[in-house]
Amino acid sequence: MKLSTLLLRIVLACAALMVLLPLLWTLLNAFKTNADLLVNTPKLIFTPVWDNMQYVLGRRSVARALTNSLVICSSAVAMGALLGVPAAYVIARVKNRLTREAQFFALSLRFLPPVAVAIPMMVIWLGLGFYDTRFALIVTYMTITISITVWLSIPAFERVPIAVEEAARVDRLGPYATFFRVALPIARPQILAAIAFSFILVWNEFLLAMMLSTSKARTLPVVASEMSQLGMNVPWGVLNAAVVLLSLPPLILLAVAGAGMNSVFSRKSTQD
Amino acid sequence: MKHLFSTASLLAVLMATTAQAESICSSDLRVLAQPRDGLTLLEDYVDEFEELSGAGFEIDYLNENDRRAKSQADASTVGSYNVYYVDEANLPLFASSGWIVPLDGYYPAEYDYEDFDAGMRSVASYDGKQWFAPIQGGGDLMVYRTDLLTAAGLEPPKTWEEYVAAIRKLHDPDNGVYGVALRGQRGSGANVWRWLPLFAANGGKWTDETGAFAFNSDAAVKATEEYLELFKYSAPGTQTGSFDESTGAFRSGKVAMIVESAPLGAMSKDPSQSRVVDVVGFAPPPTPLPGSGYAHGFAIAAKANPEEQDKACAGLFVAWATSKEQEARRLAKGQPGELTRKSTYESPEYVKTFGENLSVAMAETGARTEVLFWQDPRWQELGNTWGIMLEELITGSRTDVKATLNELETFAKSL
Amino acid sequence: MRVGRSLPYVFLGPALLVLVILAAVPTLYAVNLSLQNRTLSAPQAEYVWLANYLKLFSDDRFLNALWVSLKWEVLTVSATMAVGIGLAIAMFEAATRRWRMILSVLFIIPVLLPRVCAAFVWKFSFHPLYGAVTWPVRALTGQTPDVLAHPWGAMLTVAFVDVWQWGLFFAVIILKLMEALPPQPIEAARIDKAKGWEIHRFVTLPMLKLPLISLLLVKAIESLRSFDLVYVMTRGGPGVSTETLDMYAYSQGFIEAGNISYASSMAVIMMVLTVILFTSIWKRLNK
Repeated sequence: MKLSTLLLRIVLACAALMVLLPLLWTLLNAFKTNADLLVNTPKLIFTPVWDNMQYVLGRRSVARALTNSLVICSSAVAMGALLGVPAAYVIARVKNRLTREAQFFALSLRFLPPVAVAIPMMVIWLGLGFYDTRFALIVTYMTITISITVWLSIPAFERVPIAVEEAARVDRLGPYATFFRVALPIARPQILAAIAFSFILVWNEFLLAMMLSTSKARTLPVVASEMSQLGMNVPWGVLNAAVVLLSLPPLILLAVAGAGMNSVFSRKSTQD
Repeated sequence: MKHLFSTASLLAVLMATTAQAESICSSDLRVLAQPRDGLTLLEDYVDEFEELSGAGFEIDYLNENDRRAKSQADASTVGSYNVYYVDEANLPLFASSGWIVPLDGYYPAEYDYEDFDAGMRSVASYDGKQWFAPIQGGGDLMVYRTDLLTAAGLEPPKTWEEYVAAIRKLHDPDNGVYGVALRGQRGSGANVWRWLPLFAANGGKWTDETGAFAFNSDAAVKATEEYLELFKYSAPGTQTGSFDESTGAFRSGKVAMIVESAPLGAMSKDPSQSRVVDVVGFAPPPTPLPGSGYAHGFAIAAKANPEEQDKACAGLFVAWATSKEQEARRLAKGQPGELTRKSTYESPEYVKTFGENLSVAMAETGARTEVLFWQDPRWQELGNTWGIMLEELITGSRTDVKATLNELETFAKSL
Repeated sequence: MRVGRSLPYVFLGPALLVLVILAAVPTLYAVNLSLQNRTLSAPQAEYVWLANYLKLFSDDRFLNALWVSLKWEVLTVSATMAVGIGLAIAMFEAATRRWRMILSVLFIIPVLLPRVCAAFVWKFSFHPLYGAVTWPVRALTGQTPDVLAHPWGAMLTVAFVDVWQWGLFFAVIILKLMEALPPQPIEAARIDKAKGWEIHRFVTLPMLKLPLISLLLVKAIESLRSFDLVYVMTRGGPGVSTETLDMYAYSQGFIEAGNISYASSMAVIMMVLTVILFTSIWKRLNK
């Protein structure tokens, strides 16, 4: 093995430890009492307690928020992909003043901070009678998912060689068929990354979720806020348990999606 | 005491029978609150409330900062909650904006409002009316390590001078013991809160006789200098920490003496939270420090309860949730944080759970508790600005106390 | 090239329409709000036109927040991109296919944690008395380092948590971009005996210029929303040394006084500044 490879692997190992150690530590802390956490030398050996986990799992809000988060985020992401990916294709392929402006417009929607949008959104959704519904949050989140999907999918389509599409045209494929059967499959890995990105953004969105929901439509980040206080204190054990439990669902989702993607990739590579 | 409890439950039964005749509530109540053990326990008794009132309730929880932001935004636009969780810092804002209504007329008399701790009742009053029923609160308590004091041959300090001298003597960072733990984090409820008793003890007032602000007074300068001086002996992490950091340091056995909000007392006797359970003693804060009274509690929302009957329903919930029976349940579960009634502090059950010493100290400190913060809607803005300046003084990015207070005075005049 | 007559309208039309409606309404509302003197407690308000904006420029906390935000942007965006590109190249060069998969999953985890939770967990780790990160220092020297009590220490610590969440995630995305590159130019360069770093400096990264710029701008925007992280870890302190613009706007609008008009004017200024800044960056980089 070359020296440079070895060095790079050490860097990677360090980075992996930067993730693993805090996570394992969090997992361990989730089973400690506050008294066992507030010690000078971090404890590796202690009497584990199940209370923290039980507290988090016993909350009615958790199960409801998990369903809400899944429904709201996946709907918003799906709508974002449905509307955003074709739009990105047009912006990448048709170069004129309008599309150039549209490209930047898509991004600029994220410029207005949520602080400014929160009150207007509350008033608008209240007026329309959709305050504290999943629908309101899905539509609100669509601005995020569409704009990010458009913005990150444009470079993906720009990298699809024009010659390939020209060849498709010679094969008498119509413009729609060219998009679905030629451009989309080639750009797919990057587009999936863009969609994943938009998912992560809405999955962790907090301020709008808090302001636009009470108990019916509240999502996991809002419940995380609930877990960060108990009485006058930060319940460190409960907080660690919440980190462990609340990060599991997206992780499982991701693993499933990743496995799906992987099988797509490997099928493609065997075809190559 | 037993007799009192049974009377209360008898009343509840009576209430329940009348409630069935004409149920007070027509639909489930929505409550916004901060997570507390006492409220989790309350949720177990939702059926009891349903029987009493004819409807259930649902509590949404957020942490303190988010709860404040959400309740302000909700009360001013949507009004989706029947009952708000209000604290000392935002009561003036909620009351003066008409977001909540006074308890009078909606809080059933048989729940005995006068039994709440006097300090908390005065915090819950604004403009001569009572606005919330306390679920938590208190004044200040001095908590000290009996083992360290004995080893150093010291008596629990009675005066401020003795207190400072004892802190100096007990401060021993090389052996992992710090003299004291204060609050350094910016905020009207954080560093400013701990500074308030010193300000008051030095004779500081928010306004002078003419009603003008008087921040650059000698009292404020002296209080600030004393506070900063004491910070030399404060545990690491408290310079930018608040209640959680300072009491955490004490409960982990790093701190010799501390004057903090009263719930610390019972908390330091709880083995799951404290490593110093057997070596703590309690006393009221050293003279002339007054206790800085605070309280959180439930208030009746204005917007979500348009009709008289809605308000009565919300009032019943407020009363039921803070009733003597609920206190007894919390005490039985060993939940020290949400006890607010005088009858509870004096009960034999309390003495049995937390010891004679704490019970006596709580009674003594109650007499010393005052409202020290400025009961005005502008308090949060003023207090937070002063908090920022104070934190800068504590962490050393500012040094001139007098000039800082002059700056605060200028800011206060612009409010 | 030609893409058919109806396709541009069918594909672009709905997305733009939805975006314009969804964005225009709240934006106009916010601008309108910023021209009044509304507070949460007094819904009856009148138009004060530009008074809020004029007041902003004599507000020391606002000017400080602008400066803090600028530092925060430069710090987090550059560190995130550096970490992302560095780790992506490392994975591309030195990890087998299987390890790339494992590392990718691992590197995505931090960004999936709710920010409030991540902030609390790290804050606890940095605690001078019982944090796990500060423990080696305590054990070896007996000192109790309090990083959050120093202006730069606090800034760097909060930035570290931000980069921990985003930098590692960016590494995965950039790796996927590199894997999607056509292999021929890289192989050609290898045959020419180019060194590893040269290949990436002169071949891979230039080929990825456009997507990398897109990612950079996205990160710059996400960095503008930092208040949940900052609020938990430092509350903007010590003093105002980590108080970013959106945190100041949040505390003005929702926490301290409910000055929502004032907060809106801050948000509008923030929007205008970012539009100007980003347009110029975008025009320059996209040449």
